[in-house]
Amino acid sequence: MLDALDKELLKTVADLEGLPKGAYNIRKNGKLLGRKISANINIETNAEGTGIIISVAPNTQNESVHIPVILSEAGLHDVVYNSFIIGENADVTIIAGCGIHCGSDKKEGHEGIHDFTVHANARMTYIEKHYAFGKGKGQRTLNPTTKVLLKQNAYAEMILEQIGGVDTAQRVNEAILEDGASLLIKENVLTEDTQIANSTNQIVLNGKDSSANLIARSVIKGDSKQDFIASMEANNKCYGHIECDAIILDNGTSDTVPSLKARHPDAELTHEASIGKIADDQLMKLMSLGLTYDEAVNHIIQGFLDRRVDV
Amino acid sequence: MLQIKDLTFTVENTDPGASGQKTILDRFNYTFEHGKFYGITGPNGSGKTSLAKVIMGINPVTSGRIVFEGNDITDLSITDRAKSGIAYSFQNPARFKGISFRQLLSIAAETDDESVLQKIVARVGICSLDFLEKSVDAKLSGGEIKKIELATTIARNPKLAIYDEPDTGIDLWTIGPMIDLLKKEQKNHQTTTIVVSHNKNFLEAADTILILKKGKFVYEGDLDGAIHLLTDLSTCTLPDLCEGENDVRCFR
Repeated sequence: MLDALDKELLKTVADLEGLPKGAYNIRKNGKLLGRKISANINIETNAEGTGIIISVAPNTQNESVHIPVILSEAGLHDVVYNSFIIGENADVTIIAGCGIHCGSDKKEGHEGIHDFTVHANARMTYIEKHYAFGKGKGQRTLNPTTKVLLKQNAYAEMILEQIGGVDTAQRVNEAILEDGASLLIKENVLTEDTQIANSTNQIVLNGKDSSANLIARSVIKGDSKQDFIASMEANNKCYGHIECDAIILDNGTSDTVPSLKARHPDAELTHEASIGKIADDQLMKLMSLGLTYDEAVNHIIQGFLDRRVDV
Repeated sequence: MLQIKDLTFTVENTDPGASGQKTILDRFNYTFEHGKFYGITGPNGSGKTSLAKVIMGINPVTSGRIVFEGNDITDLSITDRAKSGIAYSFQNPARFKGISFRQLLSIAAETDDESVLQKIVARVGICSLDFLEKSVDAKLSGGEIKKIELATTIARNPKLAIYDEPDTGIDLWTIGPMIDLLKKEQKNHQTTTIVVSHNKNFLEAADTILILKKGKFVYEGDLDGAIHLLTDLSTCTLPDLCEGENDVRCFR
């Protein structure tokens, strides 16, 4: 059921050596490859047949659900609409991601539109990794969209990664926060050759004492291009921060546009942004510890794209 | 141990109205002996940091040779000089997003063995084990990053350790233990130590004081003999421009 390519893709995008424990839904080339539900996590196909609905029961604690997608069929452009409903007081980890293997000159692509409703006092960790590889010259497209509604005192941490091989990406993240809700997004995108990635983010802080932290890290190699647009709108007493950093290697280019909209006198919004090459002092330091230039560059980039968040 | 032969280092002259090259080190000659502790001092702009960086390979040599333990290292990269046993502690250490002290120490020590890393932290003594988890980023205080810099330098087990202004950002209470540490490394590991500093405490710890002025050593000897020169230097580093103590433009 899982061939060698499937296994490699699953390992890369979902850290899976085989079928996961707990609930899962694995989609291959637009079709269901395997599904398992648990006592607290239900997965069902939506009424339109265009995606799945994942429901996590209230008070579920420390459970996870894997929903990876793999593509290896030439010419296929897969579009899915998935909904996630996280019950009150639940604490759950969702591991998504899409891996493409392209072996021909035909285009392959995936668009995952994920909408989340995280109910009161629930916590959700969402990890999504996108990756493409293969000797085929066909264009690989990955267009992920996340739309998040965080209810009262809900918390979501979202790790969104595109780690290479994707020719074009239109990435969209939207979030609305109610009272006391808190959101942390860390988006890491690496592009190379002539790849293009656009990331558009819109976060609306409606709730009193809500908070959002959007951290974007871009590594732009070769002649690739990444644009990052982020808007944070504060409509109540709240806190929001945008941090967007890009490292340019070779001839990469980037437009970065952070936008803060304070619509309440007690709103507190900040942003920091930087674009540039790897700093010489970083390279010198690592080389003075015995690393070669290339090893130093790799260490700096790996650290820069590290999933861990120091806030 | 380290021979500097007829070394010249020039940079592009960026002074207002100037052009051409500016000589920082002028046909410089000196031999550093194995296992000794050198304190290099001198006025601002005299070439102290430039000399230290030339030895590490961070600054390129304009002309002349550098011989380390009998091998000509003039054309070696920073990496190869590090591998040959030279370590460098930066005055203003680099900060990294997403790299922890543990990772940096692992690179320096060439191992991720937890017991080895803990031994290094214990050997350094001036930072606690919980430092290992800290990100080496802009959130660190000036003192914290200097302690990390010191630890990664010592973790290299260098034959020659160069410390550029090691007390920058360090609180007064840490300077003593820091000096004790460098002396202990010198004694226990016969580390040839070069400290670039204006701090009297570091200079007191040195076996030999070298005063650098206008790209040349103008003094070599003990601290007692250097005191009158250092007093002059500390009074004013711009004697050519000095208009006397009534000069209202002087903020020294």
